[in-house]
Amino acid sequence: MISNALSLMIAVPLLGAVIAFLTRSRAQARIVALIASLIPLLLSLQMYMEFDKSSKLMQFVESYAWVPTLGIKYTLGVDGIGFPLVLLSTIVSTLVIIYAWGEDKRPNQFFALLLLNEVGVLGVFVALDFFLFYIFWEIVLLPMYFLIGIWGGPRKDYSAIKFFIYTHVASLVMLLAIFALYFTYQMPDGSRTFDMLTLLQATADKAIFPTGLLNIIFAGLLFGFLVKMPAFPFHSWLPDAHVEAPTAGSVVLAALLLKMGGYGIFRVIVPMLPHVDKIFVTIIAVIAVLSILWGAFMALSQKDIKKLVAYSSVSHMGFVTLGAVAFTWLSIQGAMFQQFSHGIITCVLFMSAGTIQHSAGTRVISELGGLADRMPKFAFIIMAGFLASLGLPGMSGFVAEFMVLTGSFATLPVYTMIVVFLSIAITAAYHLWAVQKVMFGPILKKYINVHDPHAYELFSMSMIILLTLIFGLQPSLMTDIMGTAAYQLMEPVKTLAQMGVI
Amino acid sequence: MVDIAYYAPLWGEALLTLLAVLIILFGSLMKGGKIWGYLSVAGLAAALALVMSSKTGTVFFFDTLSVDVISQFFKAVFLVVSLLVVIASLSRYTAKGSDEYYSLILLATVGMMVVASSVDLVTLFVGFELASLSTYALAAFDKSKRNLEAAMKYFIFGSVSSAMMLFGFSLLYGMAGSTRIADIANTALSSFGPATLVALLFVIAGFGFKMALVPFHMWAPDTYEGAPPLVSALLAAGSKKMGFAAAFRVIIVALLALRLEWYLAFAILAAITMTLGNLVACWQNNVRRILAYSSIAQAGYISIAFVVVGAASAMPNGQSIAQLGIAGGLLLILGHALMKTGAFIGTAQVASMVGSTGGNDPDDISNYAGLGRRAPITAFCMLIFMFALAGIPPTAGYIGKFVLFSSAIYSNLVWLAVLAILNSALSLYYYLRIVSYMYLKEPAGPRMPEPMGYAAALVLTLIAVLWIGIFPQGFIDWAMQAAAVLLPK
Repeated sequence: MISNALSLMIAVPLLGAVIAFLTRSRAQARIVALIASLIPLLLSLQMYMEFDKSSKLMQFVESYAWVPTLGIKYTLGVDGIGFPLVLLSTIVSTLVIIYAWGEDKRPNQFFALLLLNEVGVLGVFVALDFFLFYIFWEIVLLPMYFLIGIWGGPRKDYSAIKFFIYTHVASLVMLLAIFALYFTYQMPDGSRTFDMLTLLQATADKAIFPTGLLNIIFAGLLFGFLVKMPAFPFHSWLPDAHVEAPTAGSVVLAALLLKMGGYGIFRVIVPMLPHVDKIFVTIIAVIAVLSILWGAFMALSQKDIKKLVAYSSVSHMGFVTLGAVAFTWLSIQGAMFQQFSHGIITCVLFMSAGTIQHSAGTRVISELGGLADRMPKFAFIIMAGFLASLGLPGMSGFVAEFMVLTGSFATLPVYTMIVVFLSIAITAAYHLWAVQKVMFGPILKKYINVHDPHAYELFSMSMIILLTLIFGLQPSLMTDIMGTAAYQLMEPVKTLAQMGVI
Repeated sequence: MVDIAYYAPLWGEALLTLLAVLIILFGSLMKGGKIWGYLSVAGLAAALALVMSSKTGTVFFFDTLSVDVISQFFKAVFLVVSLLVVIASLSRYTAKGSDEYYSLILLATVGMMVVASSVDLVTLFVGFELASLSTYALAAFDKSKRNLEAAMKYFIFGSVSSAMMLFGFSLLYGMAGSTRIADIANTALSSFGPATLVALLFVIAGFGFKMALVPFHMWAPDTYEGAPPLVSALLAAGSKKMGFAAAFRVIIVALLALRLEWYLAFAILAAITMTLGNLVACWQNNVRRILAYSSIAQAGYISIAFVVVGAASAMPNGQSIAQLGIAGGLLLILGHALMKTGAFIGTAQVASMVGSTGGNDPDDISNYAGLGRRAPITAFCMLIFMFALAGIPPTAGYIGKFVLFSSAIYSNLVWLAVLAILNSALSLYYYLRIVSYMYLKEPAGPRMPEPMGYAAALVLTLIAVLWIGIFPQGFIDWAMQAAAVLLPK
């Protein structure tokens, strides 16, 4: 086992980002980026082999004093909640760099930003100290702002600033809630701490955190995470950001950045849920159902295929919220699996939208038609991607949503039935309608010269389809870890000190 | 016989005074060229080393100059700012008259250092005037029309504020029978009825001008916009912090008994200052005006420290809350001094390049289009300073805001903390506007040369801003110790 594997996993892309930024040519930049993203991928695969799937404790823990005066530590560690997302981040980051192999506008900065993004996202998933967590949480905003702002579409300035300010406000509200946690809880020796697990464990103690105070803190944290997810009605930054972002930016935005919100729900919100006012369960459940339905209906009404995919993200992330708040073993497990599954499926959807834009010059669904005739390989992949997204059995999306709905029915039957009756048909409808119009039917004359995309684009997309199939047919590769994590979430939080790891 | 070693903690001031006089003297006799700049750099660096290594805890000159942790903290801030400004000036001020420029900067620095150490109102005022008079002259140093307007405004407002401050001091002297801060703190001021309020009002107004708190801020944007850009750096980052150094001593220590009165006043001033500063900054097109309003907003944030001290006094563990609040204010002062110096040096570099090729307003934001490719070092440093000013981690600006806003939550000032973070988010709009001009727009001209002096100052500032952000431990401890000096034992 490599010591300090998590720190190494963050440091390598950071170093890679600096080197890539300083390179002079595209060839150098992309090679650096590929190497700097492959190393974390290999590390995370190695960690997967070593990961103890039955343990409810933090693993690969590192902890060093950082600012002892304020009780800040550099603490990293992963458990069943964080590890699947670490794996997702390393996989997606590598594949998106391969997909963007042909980027020719300021390639050194482009690849450096993709690597910086990986740094931030990985940091969020492994940080166990609120101070550190918040730093990574904010660092992620920078590369995405530039990815949208420099390589974006016509309204890039507006979208980039809206994305940055909207999500920054949410982060700041979350930060105030973290301050309140920090100042309310005092360690037995009188000092204070930003340690996430210690603070979360303390929230169970009514003597320290009276319900009224905890409700306010909870609401602040929840707001921070729901905006990031994004959940209805805080999602309005997402379609703008997605439509204007370059393909690679959209991919990491949907596949990784949204997962940060979901991760926050599992890491912070779910352990606090039993101790806050019960009204929050209803509020979150309503938000979840509205996100699923609103996302699906909005997707149905879109003219731009990329915007359609963006709204489908809102809808699919709603399942994560629903599964988490339903608070049964199966639903939590399903919600975690939905995070992973949506993370990979959405990659292929956004990559497809990018490829269509690139080949046909437009993303407007009504202007496209019959592309399958000239792009047979691509047609196969996009078909597989859309079917995976709508929940075709045998692919990972089906398993995740099935688990969420089955698990949620036990505690939230009404909400679950609303979702089942209203959203499933619509989800199928917008996926099938879009892919049918774009790819099939007689080919339009103006598209007679289009051809299959580059091999590297096809490679990225087909790898993801392969992963979707693997995890669809053999979900236990991931769900074993998540099942343990779901059990762990339904018990009181165990701090690192109690685990005996520090 | 004077025991020179006894005065070792004040050698820094002595060295700079001597150097300033020598530079003026020899400057009038010989052509020095670049030598005056390099001498000043060496002098300031030596003074910084002396200040950092000096023993604290002694009071000199009949209880007027105290060398303690907080005075050394502020002196270090002033010296670092002056040092960076002088390094950047190396490639700008080399011709005839540069001896005056450097000696004025040195004298201004000495004035600020005296203010940082003063525990007596008269000494404090003398230090204030030394720094002010030197900077009045500096503000008009390039003798352009805009310089003169800026300097005139600065001079008039500065004199009025000095007069107000002095009037407040005279009332305090009348009540306490002494100008020593410790004596005033021990006087039962409230027995003097309305006179105390008048004194408080004048003192706050006098300091308010220096700190550029709304509604005493009108001079700042015009002066920062019109003065030579490097002098603006000194004014915004150095001389403005002198106002805080004085206010910390006079208001928190001397007038502690009146905390209920000034607590409310500063709560209102802080809230209005940060909101107005940020709102107005959004509409500006001149980068130096944006920075000026941003520095007004930052003064509003820093004032939260006073509110926290006032609010904490009524709480059971008030001492530790007040300490955290002051420490937060000090950290933000340190961070802001660095970030603002860097940002103004950046504008100086752009203005010197654009101005030389013609064009209307050298500070107009359109000149920053595509700066990322025209002047990569300047643009990258400016980028980090903008994010640091907005409070994005891991930078010095973030650490300051982190400690300060958390102390506001600690003292139950939730409304103020919420207002402060909303302002922080609002400020992102105009900082991002500069960033988007620099990196998202197509270049407005060919690649610019980046002179050594500017580049060196920018890169040093950049390193300091990131260093404080990533390794804040030492700085937080330092600020906490400094804060402890101000609080009653």
